[in-house]
Amino acid sequence: MSLLAITGLSVAYRGIPAVSDVSLSVAPGQIATVIGPNGAGKTTLLGAIMGVLPASGAVRFEGADLAGADVESRVARGLSLVAEKRELFTTMTVAENLRLGFWRHRAEGREAAARALDEAYAMFPRLAERRRQQAGTLSGGERQMLAMARALMARPRLLMLDEPSLGLAPLIVRDILRTVTTLRAQGVSVLLVEQNARAALQIADIGYVLEMGRITLSGDSATLASDPRIVELYLGADPTR
Amino acid sequence: MNRPMTRLWPIPALLLAVLLPWLPGLPLFWVSLANTIGLSAIVATGLVVLTGIGGMTSFAQASFVGFGAYASAILSARYGVSPWLGLPLALAVSGAAALAIGAVTLRLSGHYLALGTIAWSVSLFYLFGNLDLVGRNDGISDIPPLTLGGIAFIDVRWSAGLIWICLIAASLATARLLDSRWGRAIRALRGGAVASASFGVDVARARMLAFVHAALLAGLAGWLYAHLQRAVNPTPFGLVASIEYLLMTVVGGAAFLPGALLGAGLVTLVNDRLQQWLPLLLGEGGAWEVIVFGMLLVGVLQVAPEGLWPHLARPRGRSHPRGGPALPARPRPAPGPVLQVTGLRKSFGGLVAVSDVSFQLAAGEILGLIGPNGAGKSTTFNALTGVSAASAGQIIVAGQDVTTWPARRIAALGVARSFQHVKLVAAMSVIENVVLGAHLRGSAAPLAAVLRLDRAEEAALFAEAARQLARVGLADVADRPATSLALGQQRIVEIARALCLDPALLLLDEPAAGLRHAEKQALAELLRRLRAEGMAILVVEHDMEFVMSLADRLVVMDFGTVIAEGLPAEVRRNPAVVEAYLGGVA
Repeated sequence: MSLLAITGLSVAYRGIPAVSDVSLSVAPGQIATVIGPNGAGKTTLLGAIMGVLPASGAVRFEGADLAGADVESRVARGLSLVAEKRELFTTMTVAENLRLGFWRHRAEGREAAARALDEAYAMFPRLAERRRQQAGTLSGGERQMLAMARALMARPRLLMLDEPSLGLAPLIVRDILRTVTTLRAQGVSVLLVEQNARAALQIADIGYVLEMGRITLSGDSATLASDPRIVELYLGADPTR
Repeated sequence: MNRPMTRLWPIPALLLAVLLPWLPGLPLFWVSLANTIGLSAIVATGLVVLTGIGGMTSFAQASFVGFGAYASAILSARYGVSPWLGLPLALAVSGAAALAIGAVTLRLSGHYLALGTIAWSVSLFYLFGNLDLVGRNDGISDIPPLTLGGIAFIDVRWSAGLIWICLIAASLATARLLDSRWGRAIRALRGGAVASASFGVDVARARMLAFVHAALLAGLAGWLYAHLQRAVNPTPFGLVASIEYLLMTVVGGAAFLPGALLGAGLVTLVNDRLQQWLPLLLGEGGAWEVIVFGMLLVGVLQVAPEGLWPHLARPRGRSHPRGGPALPARPRPAPGPVLQVTGLRKSFGGLVAVSDVSFQLAAGEILGLIGPNGAGKSTTFNALTGVSAASAGQIIVAGQDVTTWPARRIAALGVARSFQHVKLVAAMSVIENVVLGAHLRGSAAPLAAVLRLDRAEEAALFAEAARQLARVGLADVADRPATSLALGQQRIVEIARALCLDPALLLLDEPAAGLRHAEKQALAELLRRLRAEGMAILVVEHDMEFVMSLADRLVVMDFGTVIAEGLPAEVRRNPAVVEAYLGGVA
């Protein structure tokens, strides 16, 4: 059974469709990626799954229909989104940002929180070095790590990442994507939205290509990676052909 | 259309102002209440321009009333000069005070500006109260009344005529100012300052103009006040009075001229009635009116945050002169490079966003600047247009080194742009937004607008805007509010605005985003025509299909540097470009 199953999802802004009739699924323990050029509707799709944008169609999580569920209840069910802009609390320290990620589990007490914090630092040693530093002073890569670590503090069943590679140097992108594969090994499923198609397809199990709001290609990520249509999608048809 | 009728409103209004006070049986008390309303409305009219439209909150308007009042009072009471000559002096003093205060205060923005005016208000109040020249806290008494042909304006019925004539003149002058070249610059201050600067508007000057205009109206009210009261002291020029003027403006509808009179009338009348009735209901000595008035105010602003006027009348669109002669056109750029960028670098603190970017763009050429998200395209674009200065390198436009120039000066060289996030002024119609692009092609001063000497130029500017709107295919929506259009159409409006500058170099930031297929084709067709006319066009674009088929050459950026340059087909096959877009294999 799928962890996340979306059928016929559509979102429109002021009558203009941004995402049309999208169906996709993520199995437990799987990395699924949605790739596509700028403006394809990737961020909108995540917003609709998270419940921050009104959408039509069905979103089912662990078999339950999320229709009408607000953002808080989706988080409580185990969905977590790391937004494209990272959305850190820039005037708080790294540790404070992380502790806020634990908010959902605050009833478990201080020791549980401290343990979760240690686990986050073990996964992202750079954050441990910076724990007392204000989040606003971190580098781009560290911000992305902090945003991911904060999301993981909530112990999500499905982590949704919106362009984690955006604006980061290739070496840092590699580090971050490697962390994503570690998560899969720990049983967290990941829905990875990326422009960086090749890197995303390399770590994903299954891929979907989103173009002008519609899924135009999908399948096993290794097969997709060698599909010549992907180049066309990003760079347009060859004008000399 | 009832335009001619609405144009002629000052004539019946003047008759009413002069005759109504003499209506037999009209209690004099009502007439003097109307005089208070008229005086306040003059000050509030200035605040509509400054605060409601220009977005600058001033807590110092009563101080400018004071400048006008004291200036004329000193001249007539101390030196025996005719009170009529006090008017030019009152205007000169309040205007000069506004220039001086504005010069040091207007560079603040938002809350800081409001706080700055509070500081001025308080310090000027104490200055008035401690300066021998203005009679300290006792003020100046025995100010001579205004006289005309043997009539002294002591009887409130005579005063009423004078006050209301002044209010009508002030409203008329303000309406004319707002409906002019500089008026549009003031109306664009809120939300459109970046865009208007990019079309050559001196934004600081537009702010100062609004500030001085408001101060002049306050000075006029001060002159009237001094000679009608025939005594002045610091109290009516303090912070409390300033707050009351602001209150009237906000209650009436800060962004609407009639709101000034509505607000002045309501606040004055309600205050007066509450002072009459509440002691009867609730007993003396409770200052109940202040409490009830405060509650009423909170209620009004809950129901009508924009003030009451827009609830009473639907705001009318402005009618504009049309059919003017064609504006002189800029000579077409000579063949050869129009834009030369060499070694451009831009860093924010330690972060280098753009480094060592070089390219050229010739007349009659379309250059596409592409690259994945975060490649530095917008940063490059902002440096080219003077929105944020380059850290190093050189930008040459039409042979001039513009590297350190502000946006306004670059625009004067014939550089027009559109914005990635559409920047149209919501409170203006489509054609008014477009005509803002032609700001530099007109020259009428604010005073010319008040005297209506700018009509021929206005007709020519609007004719040009209409022509450009027709050219981009939006002639039928010219009078719609700009932000009522779909986002794609708003982008096209931005292109019409850019064309109004008569550019030699056109810089477009993602023009095809949000357009439908047919609209994209029409846009590409338009850009090809402009290219054929010799225009140099730089397009930053994400829509590869669009830019690949349109551009003559492409420059590809990634991580702040140029990674490829050449013909679209070559660039598309370049492995570095493919890697930049699809990502490298980790």
